[in-house]
Amino acid sequence: MRDYLGHVWAVAAKDLALEMRSRERLVGMGTFAVLVAVVWSFSLDPAVRPRSVAGAMIWVTIFFAGMLGLGRSFALEREQEALTGVLLAPVDRGAIFLGKFLANLLILLAVEALIFPVYGLFFGIGLGGSLGGVALVVGLASVGFVALGTLFGAVAAHTRLGETLLPILLLPLLIPVVIFGVSATQRLLIGRPVAEVMGSVRMLAAFDLIYLFVCTLAFGSVVEE
Amino acid sequence: MWWKNEEDLVESMTGTWRWASGLAVLAGLGVLAAFWMIFFYVPTEASMGVVQRIFYVHVPAAWVAFMAFGIVALCSIGYLWLRDERLDAISVSAAELGVVFTTIVLVTGPLWGKLAWGAWWVWEPRLTLTLLLWFIYIGYFVLRGATDNPERGKRFAAVLGVVGAVDIPLIHVSVNWFRSQHPQAVVLRPEGPTAGPEIVITLLVSLLAFTLTFFALLLLRYGLEKLRCNAEALRFAAESTRHATPVGGGVG
Amino acid sequence: MSTTPPVVEARGLEKRFGFRTAVGPLDMRLAPGEFTVIFGPNGAGKTTLLRLLAGIARPTRGEVWIAGERVGEGGNDWRCRLGVLSHQSYLYPGLSASENLAFYARLYGIDRREDRVRQALADVGLAERAGDRVRDFSRGMQQRLALARTLLHDPGVVFLDEPYSGLDPHAAALLRRVLERLREQGRTVLLVTHNLSQGLELADRVVVQARGRWVSDEPRSAVDAAGWEAEYTARVAAA
Repeated sequence: MRDYLGHVWAVAAKDLALEMRSRERLVGMGTFAVLVAVVWSFSLDPAVRPRSVAGAMIWVTIFFAGMLGLGRSFALEREQEALTGVLLAPVDRGAIFLGKFLANLLILLAVEALIFPVYGLFFGIGLGGSLGGVALVVGLASVGFVALGTLFGAVAAHTRLGETLLPILLLPLLIPVVIFGVSATQRLLIGRPVAEVMGSVRMLAAFDLIYLFVCTLAFGSVVEE
Repeated sequence: MWWKNEEDLVESMTGTWRWASGLAVLAGLGVLAAFWMIFFYVPTEASMGVVQRIFYVHVPAAWVAFMAFGIVALCSIGYLWLRDERLDAISVSAAELGVVFTTIVLVTGPLWGKLAWGAWWVWEPRLTLTLLLWFIYIGYFVLRGATDNPERGKRFAAVLGVVGAVDIPLIHVSVNWFRSQHPQAVVLRPEGPTAGPEIVITLLVSLLAFTLTFFALLLLRYGLEKLRCNAEALRFAAESTRHATPVGGGVG
Repeated sequence: MSTTPPVVEARGLEKRFGFRTAVGPLDMRLAPGEFTVIFGPNGAGKTTLLRLLAGIARPTRGEVWIAGERVGEGGNDWRCRLGVLSHQSYLYPGLSASENLAFYARLYGIDRREDRVRQALADVGLAERAGDRVRDFSRGMQQRLALARTLLHDPGVVFLDEPYSGLDPHAAALLRRVLERLREQGRTVLLVTHNLSQGLELADRVVVQARGRWVSDEPRSAVDAAGWEAEYTARVAAA
């Protein structure tokens, strides 16, 4: 077990070190997110109160920015076939998956930490006084998103279509996260109490566990030829 | 390969064909009976009028579409476990039929919805679920075609089949919850309290007819897949002998 | 030689891609300390064979055993005994040389990682470049680092796939010295190449593979180095 967690962290730390070196994903995803906010500001009718669609705007931005980064995650591994080297090592496939998942999750959370202030600034969307509640909902929804995204990022990276395939595979499967994540975020942003979204929080937590379990098991079949 | 030699293939194809034609005859009779009942036997439903008769096609098609996905999921798990080509062939056959029947659901739903709800498309939970199922099926086929190594395509499609099978119930729970959070005009439920015995019987006959049709088509498609693989194998063998000749004899 | 149990063994090994049989059916065994070279033209299935033996590819049929453990089933101990060097370096270009090795050292659960990494870098003459990114390395330097990665966990069995491809003379000479050392240390080595000028002088056993099968398999002493090229061409053509 200690070995397993050590391997998870080794893979994650390696991805994070690569990211800290190049910053290609943070810069790419962050810039994309801010630009989407600009696009929103010009595409919303002035009569629409941004606050009433804040959850939707923010989550659409997170999903698309996130897919940008998830697509890169396994492109890194394939550059010199480093993933093969990792697969040769005495490491459980599930631990490799969880390591990639963890790095992708931390990178996405960092981008989300940028998205919220930017939307606050551009659209006057406050956190509705519950930073903890928003962080909990966004964190849980991100876990489910990244779990599915890491698995299908690996699938897409091994196909001819590459990263263009990722949204086609990922979005239909992601609907449960979309439904509960967006609606809970929206409620919190308009100032409803955290207690009101506890049902959604529990559902998201359950989905996360299911997705993590299934994706960790399925990863071996994806990488093994 | 699934078969040892030509004879084995011919024998297994004959078996598949015999079963498929038997089932096809039954399915044909069932469909005829179902259509006769839909158009002549069952009385026109009072509140909905004649358009309600779509329901006898819509519901069985949805049932078959989801059953097909169940088969895809089971065969996908089996394929990932055993790597048996037969399981993949059943899986791809069921998935293709799944697309066909999902499309029937997605076409008949709005036809009925236009009159029942006054709109072609309503984000009704079951219709939404079917739409997402359709997209998962599409992903299944895109994946199979997107790899240079066919074995890899089969494996990836099977992974999608398994993850999709786990996700479909979650999507179902979610879209139902979403609707309950957003109440709208009461949807007229076709299987409402007015369902008389004729309606129930017609629906059951239609369900049976669709199920038989599905399995007849599944067997035919499975046999076709076997023939397709055999044709590909023969073409490959022919090509490799043609390419091999210069290597063997053309050095001098 | 026949009395010692084989350290690598394959039984009925076969791999198909669609209808093309890439490897096999093949039965083979490598005795401990044996240095085997497999020659074969491009497309003979040499790389696929190595991938099957290393457990990266799943055989269509048959089984592989390394150090008494069945490859692809449960246990991972056999992975610690195996090092693989390919023409792909399996390195992360964005990380430095020492970071790459430290990462692999963690995966292999090596104790005293820093010392081991420093030693491994010194062995391949990259001690001064330890902190530089692999992206900035020449092909020869990358291949040397890949060699350090292969031997980092001190494997008893080493597979090499076209290790000389793209190497400058300096790197090739270093690789040659390392291979000689592996031989002296009594490690089991399996080298595959299509290049006849390399590997023959180090081999104990010479195999020719064509169309996924072993066309010939003989001790080095039975091979006449002068006539080898003509002999090889004839065998491949006859396959």
